[in-house]
Amino acid sequence: MYLTVEQEKMLRGDYGWAIAKAMEIIVRVGEALGAEELVKVEHVHVSGISYSTIGKYGLEFIRELALRAGKANVFTTVNPGCIDYSGLSRIIDNSLAGYQKLIDESLEKMRFKLVYTCIPYFYRPPLPGEHLAWGESSAVIFANSIYGGFTNREGSPVALAASLTGYTYKAGLHLLENRIGRVEVKMPAPLLKVPIGAIGLWIGENIKAIPYIRGLCNISLDEVKNILASMAASGNHALAVIEGITPRGTFKIELEEQVEVENNVLEDYIGGEYSGDSILGYIGCPHSSPRELLEIWRLMRKYGRIRRGKMLVTIPVEFTKLYRGIILELKARGVDIATGTCPVVSKFREKFDYILTNSGKALFYLERIHRVKVKLARVEEIVKELFGL
Amino acid sequence: MSKSSLAYKGSVKPIIPGPCSGEVVLVDGHISFFGEIDPEQGCLINLENVCFRDKILIFKGTRGSTVAPYVIYALRRNNIAPRCMLVAEVEPMLIAGCVLAEIPLFIVEKYEELVELVKKIHSKVYLEVCGNVLLLYKKE
Repeated sequence: MYLTVEQEKMLRGDYGWAIAKAMEIIVRVGEALGAEELVKVEHVHVSGISYSTIGKYGLEFIRELALRAGKANVFTTVNPGCIDYSGLSRIIDNSLAGYQKLIDESLEKMRFKLVYTCIPYFYRPPLPGEHLAWGESSAVIFANSIYGGFTNREGSPVALAASLTGYTYKAGLHLLENRIGRVEVKMPAPLLKVPIGAIGLWIGENIKAIPYIRGLCNISLDEVKNILASMAASGNHALAVIEGITPRGTFKIELEEQVEVENNVLEDYIGGEYSGDSILGYIGCPHSSPRELLEIWRLMRKYGRIRRGKMLVTIPVEFTKLYRGIILELKARGVDIATGTCPVVSKFREKFDYILTNSGKALFYLERIHRVKVKLARVEEIVKELFGL
Repeated sequence: MSKSSLAYKGSVKPIIPGPCSGEVVLVDGHISFFGEIDPEQGCLINLENVCFRDKILIFKGTRGSTVAPYVIYALRRNNIAPRCMLVAEVEPMLIAGCVLAEIPLFIVEKYEELVELVKKIHSKVYLEVCGNVLLLYKKE
Protein backbone atom coordinates (compact mmCIF):
# COMPACT_ATOMS: atom_id res chain seq x y z
CA MET A 1 0.00 0.00 0.00
CA TYR A 2 1.23 3.47 -0.85
CA LEU A 3 1.67 5.69 2.22
CA THR A 4 2.63 9.38 2.23
CA VAL A 5 5.64 10.53 4.24
CA GLU A 6 3.35 11.74 7.04
CA GLN A 7 1.42 8.43 7.11
CA GLU A 8 4.68 6.50 7.26
CA LYS A 9 5.83 8.62 10.17
CA MET A 10 2.54 7.83 11.95
CA LEU A 11 3.02 4.10 11.34
CA ARG A 12 6.66 4.23 12.49
CA GLY A 13 5.71 5.72 15.83
CA ASP A 14 7.04 9.26 15.34
CA TYR A 15 3.76 10.62 16.77
CA GLY A 16 3.53 8.19 19.66
CA TRP A 17 2.26 4.70 20.39
CA ALA A 18 -1.47 5.38 20.07
CA ILE A 19 -1.21 6.79 16.54
CA ALA A 20 1.18 4.03 15.49
CA LYS A 21 -1.23 1.35 16.75
CA ALA A 22 -4.16 3.12 15.06
CA MET A 23 -2.28 3.35 11.77
CA GLU A 24 -1.30 -0.32 12.01
CA ILE A 25 -4.97 -1.35 12.33
CA ILE A 26 -6.01 0.76 9.34
CA VAL A 27 -3.14 -0.38 7.13
CA ARG A 28 -3.62 -4.07 7.95
CA VAL A 29 -7.38 -3.97 7.35
CA GLY A 30 -6.82 -1.91 4.18
CA GLU A 31 -4.19 -4.31 2.85
CA ALA A 32 -6.49 -7.27 3.50
CA LEU A 33 -9.18 -5.50 1.46
CA GLY A 34 -6.79 -4.65 -1.37
CA ALA A 35 -6.67 -0.87 -0.73
CA GLU A 36 -3.89 0.90 -2.61
CA GLU A 37 -3.87 4.03 -0.48
CA LEU A 38 -5.50 5.79 2.47
CA VAL A 39 -8.09 8.53 2.25
CA LYS A 40 -8.59 11.57 4.49
CA VAL A 41 -11.91 11.54 6.34
CA GLU A 42 -14.02 14.53 7.40
CA HIS A 43 -16.08 12.98 10.20
CA VAL A 44 -15.60 9.85 12.28
CA HIS A 45 -18.41 8.24 14.24
CA VAL A 46 -17.27 5.71 16.82
CA SER A 47 -19.61 2.85 17.74
CA GLY A 48 -18.89 0.27 20.43
CA ILE A 49 -18.55 2.60 23.39
CA SER A 50 -21.20 0.95 25.57
CA TYR A 51 -19.71 -1.15 28.38
CA SER A 52 -22.70 -3.45 28.09
CA THR A 53 -21.71 -4.45 24.54
CA ILE A 54 -17.89 -4.24 24.56
CA GLY A 55 -17.15 -5.49 28.09
CA LYS A 56 -13.84 -5.27 29.89
CA TYR A 57 -11.62 -5.95 26.88
CA GLY A 58 -13.19 -3.20 24.79
CA LEU A 59 -12.82 -0.88 27.80
CA GLU A 60 -9.13 -1.83 28.11
CA PHE A 61 -8.52 -1.13 24.43
CA ILE A 62 -10.16 2.33 24.54
CA ARG A 63 -8.47 3.27 27.82
CA GLU A 64 -5.06 2.27 26.58
CA LEU A 65 -5.41 4.49 23.51
CA ALA A 66 -6.50 7.42 25.70
CA LEU A 67 -3.84 6.87 28.38
CA ARG A 68 -1.16 6.74 25.72
CA ALA A 69 -2.13 10.20 24.48
CA GLY A 70 -4.45 9.30 21.59
CA LYS A 71 -6.33 12.41 20.39
CA ALA A 72 -8.97 12.94 17.73
CA ASN A 73 -7.41 14.27 14.54
CA VAL A 74 -10.80 14.93 12.94
CA PHE A 75 -14.36 15.76 14.09
CA THR A 76 -15.50 12.64 15.98
CA THR A 77 -18.87 11.76 17.47
CA VAL A 78 -19.78 8.75 19.60
CA ASN A 79 -22.59 6.19 19.74
CA PRO A 80 -24.91 5.59 22.74
CA GLY A 81 -23.50 4.33 26.02
CA CYS A 82 -25.18 1.83 28.37
CA ILE A 83 -26.68 4.31 30.86
CA ASP A 84 -29.38 6.97 30.75
CA TYR A 85 -27.34 10.17 30.78
CA SER A 86 -30.15 12.44 32.00
CA GLY A 87 -31.21 10.19 34.86
CA LEU A 88 -34.84 10.35 33.71
CA SER A 89 -35.41 6.65 32.99
CA ARG A 90 -36.75 4.07 35.43
CA ILE A 91 -36.52 1.27 32.87
CA ILE A 92 -32.85 1.41 31.85
CA ASP A 93 -30.49 -0.17 34.38
CA ASN A 94 -27.65 2.18 35.38
CA SER A 95 -25.72 -0.39 37.43
CA LEU A 96 -22.81 -0.37 34.97
CA ALA A 97 -22.36 3.40 35.36
CA GLY A 98 -18.95 3.01 37.00
CA TYR A 99 -17.49 1.12 34.03
CA GLN A 100 -19.27 3.35 31.52
CA LYS A 101 -17.71 6.37 33.24
CA LEU A 102 -14.24 4.95 32.61
CA ILE A 103 -15.05 4.66 28.91
CA ASP A 104 -16.59 8.15 28.78
CA GLU A 105 -13.58 9.72 30.49
CA SER A 106 -11.30 8.10 27.93
CA LEU A 107 -13.45 9.37 25.05
CA GLU A 108 -13.43 12.87 26.49
CA LYS A 109 -9.68 12.72 26.95
CA MET A 110 -9.37 11.86 23.25
CA ARG A 111 -11.46 15.00 22.49
CA PHE A 112 -14.42 13.22 20.95
CA LYS A 113 -17.76 15.05 20.87
CA LEU A 114 -19.86 13.11 23.37
CA VAL A 115 -23.21 13.12 21.59
CA TYR A 116 -24.06 9.51 22.61
CA THR A 117 -26.38 8.94 19.69
CA CYS A 118 -26.79 6.61 16.75
CA ILE A 119 -28.05 9.48 14.57
CA PRO A 120 -24.78 11.50 14.25
CA TYR A 121 -26.13 13.05 11.03
CA PHE A 122 -28.38 15.12 13.29
CA TYR A 123 -25.22 16.95 14.45
CA ARG A 124 -23.34 17.05 11.19
CA PRO A 125 -25.12 15.92 8.02
CA PRO A 126 -22.51 14.58 5.58
CA LEU A 127 -22.04 16.16 2.16
CA PRO A 128 -22.41 14.06 -0.99
CA GLY A 129 -19.12 12.44 -1.91
CA GLU A 130 -17.51 13.26 1.43
CA HIS A 131 -15.31 10.52 2.90
CA LEU A 132 -16.29 9.38 6.39
CA ALA A 133 -15.29 6.59 8.76
CA TRP A 134 -18.42 5.65 10.63
CA GLY A 135 -19.24 2.75 12.87
CA GLU A 136 -22.88 2.02 13.82
CA SER A 137 -24.46 0.06 11.01
CA SER A 138 -27.70 2.08 10.92
CA ALA A 139 -25.84 5.40 10.67
CA VAL A 140 -23.51 4.07 7.98
CA ILE A 141 -26.32 2.97 5.69
CA PHE A 142 -28.14 6.27 6.31
CA ALA A 143 -25.02 8.33 5.49
CA ASN A 144 -24.37 6.42 2.25
CA SER A 145 -27.96 6.08 1.05
CA ILE A 146 -29.56 9.37 2.10
CA TYR A 147 -26.67 11.87 2.11
CA GLY A 148 -24.38 10.22 -0.45
CA GLY A 149 -21.48 10.17 2.02
CA PHE A 150 -18.76 7.60 1.36
CA THR A 151 -18.20 5.23 4.28
CA ASN A 152 -17.73 1.54 4.90
CA ARG A 153 -19.22 -0.17 7.95
CA GLU A 154 -16.18 0.45 10.04
CA GLY A 155 -15.78 -1.94 12.92
CA SER A 156 -15.53 0.02 16.18
CA PRO A 157 -11.71 -0.17 16.60
CA VAL A 158 -11.20 0.90 12.98
CA ALA A 159 -13.37 3.99 13.46
CA LEU A 160 -11.36 4.82 16.60
CA ALA A 161 -8.15 4.39 14.63
CA ALA A 162 -9.49 6.61 11.84
CA SER A 163 -10.24 9.33 14.36
CA LEU A 164 -6.72 9.29 15.79
CA THR A 165 -5.02 9.33 12.40
CA GLY A 166 -7.59 11.24 10.33
CA TYR A 167 -7.40 8.56 7.62
CA THR A 168 -9.03 5.32 6.61
CA TYR A 169 -8.22 2.79 3.88
CA LYS A 170 -9.53 3.61 0.41
CA ALA A 171 -11.51 0.50 -0.48
CA GLY A 172 -15.09 -0.73 -0.58
CA LEU A 173 -17.66 2.05 -0.57
CA HIS A 174 -14.99 4.79 -0.70
CA LEU A 175 -14.71 3.96 -4.41
CA LEU A 176 -17.54 4.84 -6.80
CA GLU A 177 -16.98 1.60 -8.73
CA ASN A 178 -18.15 -0.36 -5.67
CA ARG A 179 -21.33 1.68 -5.18
CA ILE A 180 -23.39 -0.09 -7.81
CA GLY A 181 -27.06 -0.95 -7.33
CA ARG A 182 -27.50 -4.43 -8.80
CA VAL A 183 -30.85 -5.73 -7.56
CA GLU A 184 -33.96 -3.74 -8.29
CA VAL A 185 -36.29 -4.06 -5.31
CA LYS A 186 -39.90 -3.07 -5.80
CA MET A 187 -41.83 -2.18 -2.69
CA PRO A 188 -45.03 -4.04 -1.81
CA ALA A 189 -48.39 -2.50 -2.57
CA PRO A 190 -49.98 -1.17 -0.46
CA LEU A 191 -46.75 -0.07 1.18
CA LEU A 192 -47.82 0.36 4.78
CA LYS A 193 -49.96 -2.78 5.22
CA VAL A 194 -47.27 -4.45 7.34
CA PRO A 195 -45.10 -2.46 9.85
CA ILE A 196 -42.35 -0.95 7.75
CA GLY A 197 -39.36 -2.40 9.65
CA ALA A 198 -40.33 -5.84 8.27
CA ILE A 199 -39.37 -4.71 4.77
CA GLY A 200 -35.85 -3.93 5.96
CA LEU A 201 -35.52 -7.24 7.80
CA TRP A 202 -36.65 -9.10 4.66
CA ILE A 203 -34.22 -7.25 2.37
CA GLY A 204 -31.36 -7.81 4.81
CA GLU A 205 -31.96 -11.55 4.91
CA ASN A 206 -32.78 -12.15 1.27
CA ILE A 207 -30.69 -9.74 -0.81
CA LYS A 208 -26.94 -9.70 -0.63
CA ALA A 209 -25.96 -7.27 -3.43
CA ILE A 210 -26.55 -3.50 -3.20
CA PRO A 211 -30.29 -2.98 -3.71
CA TYR A 212 -31.84 -0.32 -5.91
CA ILE A 213 -35.08 0.41 -4.07
CA ARG A 214 -38.00 1.80 -6.03
CA GLY A 215 -41.44 2.85 -4.91
CA LEU A 216 -40.47 4.29 -1.54
CA CYS A 217 -42.70 7.28 -1.90
CA ASN A 218 -45.14 9.01 0.41
CA ILE A 219 -43.37 7.82 3.52
CA SER A 220 -41.38 9.87 5.99
CA LEU A 221 -37.60 9.93 6.20
CA ASP A 222 -37.95 8.29 9.61
CA GLU A 223 -39.68 5.33 8.01
CA VAL A 224 -36.88 5.12 5.44
CA LYS A 225 -34.45 5.23 8.40
CA ASN A 226 -36.32 2.30 9.96
CA ILE A 227 -36.09 0.22 6.76
CA LEU A 228 -32.37 0.97 6.34
CA ALA A 229 -31.49 0.25 9.99
CA SER A 230 -33.40 -3.06 9.83
CA MET A 231 -31.65 -4.23 6.66
CA ALA A 232 -28.26 -3.32 8.15
CA ALA A 233 -29.10 -5.48 11.20
CA SER A 234 -30.44 -8.61 9.49
CA GLY A 235 -27.96 -8.34 6.62
CA ASN A 236 -24.61 -6.67 6.04
CA HIS A 237 -25.86 -3.81 3.90
CA ALA A 238 -24.05 -0.49 4.06
CA LEU A 239 -25.71 1.16 1.06
CA ALA A 240 -29.10 1.01 -0.61
CA VAL A 241 -29.62 3.17 -3.65
CA ILE A 242 -33.07 4.70 -3.22
CA GLU A 243 -34.82 6.10 -6.25
CA GLY A 244 -35.32 9.83 -5.88
CA ILE A 245 -33.37 10.10 -2.62
CA THR A 246 -29.75 8.92 -2.97
CA PRO A 247 -27.78 11.88 -4.41
CA ARG A 248 -26.78 11.53 -8.06
CA GLY A 249 -23.09 10.99 -8.70
CA THR A 250 -22.67 8.91 -5.54
CA PHE A 251 -23.78 5.61 -7.11
CA LYS A 252 -24.18 3.71 -10.37
CA ILE A 253 -26.88 1.32 -11.50
CA GLU A 254 -26.13 -1.96 -13.30
CA LEU A 255 -29.20 -4.14 -12.75
CA GLU A 256 -28.81 -7.90 -12.82
CA GLU A 257 -31.97 -8.97 -11.03
CA GLN A 258 -35.42 -7.72 -10.17
CA VAL A 259 -37.24 -8.60 -6.96
CA GLU A 260 -40.68 -7.67 -5.77
CA VAL A 261 -41.38 -7.61 -2.04
CA GLU A 262 -44.79 -9.07 -1.24
CA ASN A 263 -46.82 -8.26 1.83
CA ASN A 264 -47.59 -11.93 2.60
CA VAL A 265 -43.89 -12.84 3.04
CA LEU A 266 -43.38 -9.85 5.34
CA GLU A 267 -45.83 -11.32 7.87
CA ASP A 268 -43.06 -13.76 8.89
CA TYR A 269 -40.85 -10.86 9.97
CA ILE A 270 -43.13 -9.07 12.42
CA GLY A 271 -42.68 -11.53 15.28
CA GLY A 272 -45.07 -14.06 16.77
CA GLU A 273 -48.15 -13.66 18.91
CA TYR A 274 -47.49 -12.63 22.46
CA SER A 275 -48.89 -13.26 25.89
CA GLY A 276 -48.28 -12.03 29.43
CA ASP A 277 -49.09 -8.85 31.30
CA SER A 278 -45.70 -7.22 31.44
CA ILE A 279 -45.52 -5.32 28.17
CA LEU A 280 -43.07 -2.66 27.02
CA GLY A 281 -43.77 -0.34 24.12
CA TYR A 282 -40.49 0.88 22.65
CA ILE A 283 -39.82 3.64 20.12
CA GLY A 284 -36.45 5.17 19.33
CA CYS A 285 -34.23 2.65 17.54
CA PRO A 286 -32.38 4.36 15.90
CA HIS A 287 -32.85 7.35 18.24
CA SER A 288 -36.05 9.29 17.61
CA SER A 289 -35.80 12.32 15.40
CA PRO A 290 -37.56 15.58 16.40
CA ARG A 291 -40.34 14.65 13.95
CA GLU A 292 -40.86 11.25 15.56
CA LEU A 293 -40.88 12.84 19.01
CA LEU A 294 -43.60 15.23 17.85
CA GLU A 295 -45.61 12.35 16.40
CA ILE A 296 -45.50 10.47 19.72
CA TRP A 297 -46.50 13.66 21.55
CA ARG A 298 -49.43 14.21 19.19
CA LEU A 299 -50.64 10.62 19.67
CA MET A 300 -50.32 10.83 23.46
CA ARG A 301 -52.45 13.96 23.48
CA LYS A 302 -55.03 12.02 21.51
CA TYR A 303 -55.02 8.97 23.78
CA GLY A 304 -54.38 10.55 27.20
CA ARG A 305 -52.46 8.62 29.85
CA ILE A 306 -50.76 5.23 29.83
CA ARG A 307 -53.16 2.51 31.02
CA ARG A 308 -51.22 -0.75 30.74
CA GLY A 309 -47.57 -1.79 30.58
CA LYS A 310 -44.75 0.68 30.14
CA MET A 311 -43.59 2.86 27.31
CA LEU A 312 -39.97 3.76 26.54
CA VAL A 313 -38.69 6.38 24.10
CA THR A 314 -34.94 6.80 23.49
CA ILE A 315 -33.46 10.06 22.23
CA PRO A 316 -30.13 11.91 21.98
CA VAL A 317 -29.05 13.64 25.21
CA GLU A 318 -29.30 17.10 23.67
CA PHE A 319 -33.05 16.71 22.99
CA THR A 320 -33.76 17.13 26.72
CA LYS A 321 -32.75 20.79 26.32
CA LEU A 322 -34.06 21.35 22.80
CA TYR A 323 -37.52 19.83 23.34
CA ARG A 324 -37.91 20.23 27.10
CA GLY A 325 -41.62 21.03 27.00
CA ILE A 326 -42.53 17.96 24.96
CA ILE A 327 -40.37 15.68 27.11
CA LEU A 328 -41.88 16.95 30.34
CA GLU A 329 -45.37 16.38 28.99
CA LEU A 330 -44.51 12.85 27.82
CA LYS A 331 -43.09 12.14 31.29
CA ALA A 332 -46.23 13.50 32.91
CA ARG A 333 -48.30 11.12 30.79
CA GLY A 334 -46.27 8.16 32.07
CA VAL A 335 -43.77 7.74 29.23
CA ASP A 336 -40.24 6.71 30.22
CA ILE A 337 -37.53 8.74 28.44
CA ALA A 338 -33.94 7.50 28.23
CA THR A 339 -31.24 9.69 26.70
CA GLY A 340 -27.91 8.77 25.15
CA THR A 341 -28.67 5.08 25.30
CA CYS A 342 -31.10 2.42 24.06
CA PRO A 343 -32.06 -1.15 25.07
CA VAL A 344 -29.81 -2.63 22.35
CA VAL A 345 -26.70 -1.37 24.18
CA SER A 346 -27.97 -1.42 27.78
CA LYS A 347 -29.84 -3.59 30.28
CA PHE A 348 -33.38 -3.35 31.67
CA ARG A 349 -34.11 -3.04 35.39
CA GLU A 350 -36.99 -5.48 35.08
CA LYS A 351 -38.03 -8.39 32.89
CA PHE A 352 -40.76 -7.88 30.32
CA ASP A 353 -42.98 -10.60 28.86
CA TYR A 354 -42.93 -8.96 25.47
CA ILE A 355 -41.94 -5.79 23.69
CA LEU A 356 -43.88 -3.96 21.02
CA THR A 357 -41.67 -1.80 18.81
CA ASN A 358 -41.82 -0.03 15.47
CA SER A 359 -38.17 -0.83 14.76
CA GLY A 360 -37.05 -3.88 12.78
CA LYS A 361 -33.54 -3.34 14.13
CA ALA A 362 -34.80 -3.41 17.73
CA LEU A 363 -36.73 -6.60 17.00
CA PHE A 364 -33.60 -8.24 15.58
CA TYR A 365 -31.39 -7.41 18.59
CA LEU A 366 -33.77 -7.35 21.57
CA GLU A 367 -34.92 -10.91 20.87
CA ARG A 368 -31.31 -12.06 20.84
CA ILE A 369 -29.85 -9.93 23.64
CA HIS A 370 -32.68 -9.77 26.18
CA ARG A 371 -34.26 -13.13 25.20
CA VAL A 372 -37.68 -11.55 25.12
CA LYS A 373 -40.52 -11.88 22.63
CA VAL A 374 -40.73 -8.87 20.35
CA LYS A 375 -43.43 -7.85 17.91
CA LEU A 376 -43.39 -5.15 15.27
CA ALA A 377 -46.18 -2.59 15.23
CA ARG A 378 -46.75 0.89 13.89
CA VAL A 379 -46.18 3.81 16.27
CA GLU A 380 -49.91 4.49 16.52
CA GLU A 381 -50.65 0.80 17.25
CA ILE A 382 -48.10 0.81 20.08
CA VAL A 383 -49.59 3.92 21.65
CA LYS A 384 -53.12 2.56 21.20
CA GLU A 385 -52.19 -0.77 22.83
CA LEU A 386 -50.74 0.97 25.91
CA PHE A 387 -52.89 4.07 26.12
CA GLY A 388 -56.19 2.87 24.68
CA LEU A 389 -59.19 1.92 26.76
CA MET B 1 -4.45 -43.73 16.89
CA SER B 2 -7.28 -42.77 14.58
CA LYS B 3 -6.78 -42.94 10.82
CA SER B 4 -7.69 -40.06 8.60
CA SER B 5 -8.45 -39.96 4.91
CA LEU B 6 -8.31 -37.00 2.56
CA ALA B 7 -11.85 -36.11 1.51
CA TYR B 8 -11.37 -32.86 -0.40
CA LYS B 9 -8.72 -30.54 -1.74
CA GLY B 10 -9.62 -26.96 -2.51
CA SER B 11 -8.16 -23.51 -2.44
CA VAL B 12 -8.43 -20.47 -0.19
CA LYS B 13 -7.43 -16.83 -0.34
CA PRO B 14 -5.58 -15.84 2.83
CA ILE B 15 -6.88 -12.51 4.19
CA ILE B 16 -4.97 -12.73 7.46
CA PRO B 17 -2.45 -15.54 6.98
CA GLY B 18 -1.51 -17.82 9.83
CA PRO B 19 -1.66 -21.42 11.02
CA CYS B 20 -5.01 -23.13 10.50
CA SER B 21 -5.61 -26.79 11.25
CA GLY B 22 -8.05 -28.66 13.43
CA GLU B 23 -11.60 -29.87 13.81
CA VAL B 24 -14.29 -28.10 11.82
CA VAL B 25 -17.39 -26.33 13.17
CA LEU B 26 -19.83 -25.29 10.46
CA VAL B 27 -22.47 -22.56 10.72
CA ASP B 28 -23.87 -22.32 7.23
CA GLY B 29 -25.18 -18.76 7.42
CA HIS B 30 -24.34 -15.19 8.33
CA ILE B 31 -23.40 -14.44 11.94
CA SER B 32 -23.76 -11.21 13.90
CA PHE B 33 -20.94 -11.56 16.43
CA PHE B 34 -22.79 -9.07 18.62
CA GLY B 35 -26.04 -10.65 19.78
CA GLU B 36 -25.57 -14.09 18.23
CA ILE B 37 -22.32 -15.15 19.92
CA ASP B 38 -21.69 -15.46 23.64
CA PRO B 39 -18.22 -13.97 24.26
CA GLU B 40 -17.97 -15.69 27.66
CA GLN B 41 -18.72 -19.19 26.37
CA GLY B 42 -17.53 -19.15 22.77
CA CYS B 43 -20.83 -20.58 21.56
CA LEU B 44 -23.68 -19.48 19.37
CA ILE B 45 -26.52 -18.12 21.48
CA ASN B 46 -29.35 -19.69 19.51
CA LEU B 47 -27.52 -22.98 18.91
CA GLU B 48 -26.12 -23.81 22.31
CA ASN B 49 -24.38 -27.01 21.29
CA VAL B 50 -22.35 -25.15 18.67
CA CYS B 51 -19.13 -23.98 20.32
CA PHE B 52 -15.91 -23.23 18.52
CA ARG B 53 -13.10 -22.97 21.07
CA ASP B 54 -9.85 -24.12 19.45
CA LYS B 55 -11.73 -25.27 16.36
CA ILE B 56 -11.98 -24.04 12.79
CA LEU B 57 -15.08 -21.94 12.33
CA ILE B 58 -16.58 -22.07 8.84
CA PHE B 59 -19.43 -19.66 8.09
CA LYS B 60 -20.78 -17.66 5.18
CA GLY B 61 -20.05 -14.15 6.43
CA THR B 62 -20.89 -11.55 9.02
CA ARG B 63 -23.91 -9.35 9.48
CA GLY B 64 -25.22 -6.87 12.02
CA SER B 65 -23.51 -4.64 14.54
CA THR B 66 -20.18 -2.90 14.09
CA VAL B 67 -19.28 -3.90 17.66
CA ALA B 68 -18.26 -7.30 16.20
CA PRO B 69 -14.47 -6.67 16.40
CA TYR B 70 -14.62 -6.24 20.18
CA VAL B 71 -16.59 -9.49 20.51
CA ILE B 72 -13.95 -11.30 18.43
CA TYR B 73 -11.21 -9.66 20.54
CA ALA B 74 -13.01 -10.72 23.75
CA LEU B 75 -13.15 -14.32 22.47
CA ARG B 76 -9.36 -14.26 22.09
CA ARG B 77 -8.77 -12.67 25.51
CA ASN B 78 -11.10 -15.23 27.12
CA ASN B 79 -9.14 -18.03 25.39
CA ILE B 80 -12.23 -19.37 23.66
CA ALA B 81 -11.59 -18.07 20.15
CA PRO B 82 -11.61 -20.35 17.12
CA ARG B 83 -8.16 -21.26 15.77
CA CYS B 84 -9.00 -19.67 12.46
CA MET B 85 -12.01 -18.69 10.38
CA LEU B 86 -13.01 -19.68 6.86
CA VAL B 87 -15.74 -17.69 5.15
CA ALA B 88 -17.41 -17.19 1.76
CA GLU B 89 -17.18 -13.41 1.95
CA VAL B 90 -15.38 -10.88 4.13
CA GLU B 91 -16.21 -7.38 5.20
CA PRO B 92 -14.15 -4.70 7.01
CA MET B 93 -15.67 -5.48 10.43
CA LEU B 94 -14.65 -9.13 10.40
CA ILE B 95 -11.15 -8.31 9.19
CA ALA B 96 -10.72 -5.66 11.90
CA GLY B 97 -11.79 -8.16 14.56
CA CYS B 98 -9.39 -10.82 13.27
CA VAL B 99 -6.52 -8.27 13.06
CA LEU B 100 -7.14 -7.21 16.65
CA ALA B 101 -7.52 -10.77 17.92
CA GLU B 102 -4.80 -12.21 15.66
CA ILE B 103 -7.05 -14.92 14.26
CA PRO B 104 -6.12 -16.20 10.77
CA LEU B 105 -8.89 -15.55 8.24
CA PHE B 106 -9.40 -17.11 4.82
CA ILE B 107 -11.91 -16.86 1.99
CA VAL B 108 -12.88 -20.30 0.64
CA GLU B 109 -12.92 -20.31 -3.14
CA LYS B 110 -15.69 -22.91 -3.57
CA TYR B 111 -17.59 -22.36 -0.36
CA GLU B 112 -20.79 -24.20 -1.35
CA GLU B 113 -18.83 -27.27 -2.46
CA LEU B 114 -16.92 -27.38 0.83
CA VAL B 115 -20.05 -26.90 2.92
CA GLU B 116 -21.91 -29.69 1.10
CA LEU B 117 -19.07 -32.07 1.83
CA VAL B 118 -18.73 -31.06 5.49
CA LYS B 119 -22.48 -31.62 5.93
CA LYS B 120 -22.23 -35.00 4.21
CA ILE B 121 -19.37 -36.24 6.37
CA HIS B 122 -21.17 -34.69 9.33
CA SER B 123 -18.81 -35.44 12.23
CA LYS B 124 -15.08 -35.70 12.87
CA VAL B 125 -14.19 -33.44 10.00
CA TYR B 126 -10.70 -32.02 10.12
CA LEU B 127 -9.21 -29.32 7.99
CA GLU B 128 -5.78 -27.94 7.26
CA VAL B 129 -4.71 -24.87 5.30
CA CYS B 130 -1.24 -24.83 3.73
CA GLY B 131 -0.61 -21.57 1.88
CA ASN B 132 -3.47 -21.35 -0.60
CA VAL B 133 -4.42 -25.01 -0.36
CA LEU B 134 -7.21 -26.38 1.78
CA LEU B 135 -7.22 -30.04 2.76
CA LEU B 136 -10.25 -31.68 4.33
CA TYR B 137 -9.93 -34.94 6.23
CA LYS B 138 -12.36 -37.42 7.63
CA LYS B 139 -11.17 -39.21 10.77
CA GLU B 140 -12.19 -42.84 11.10
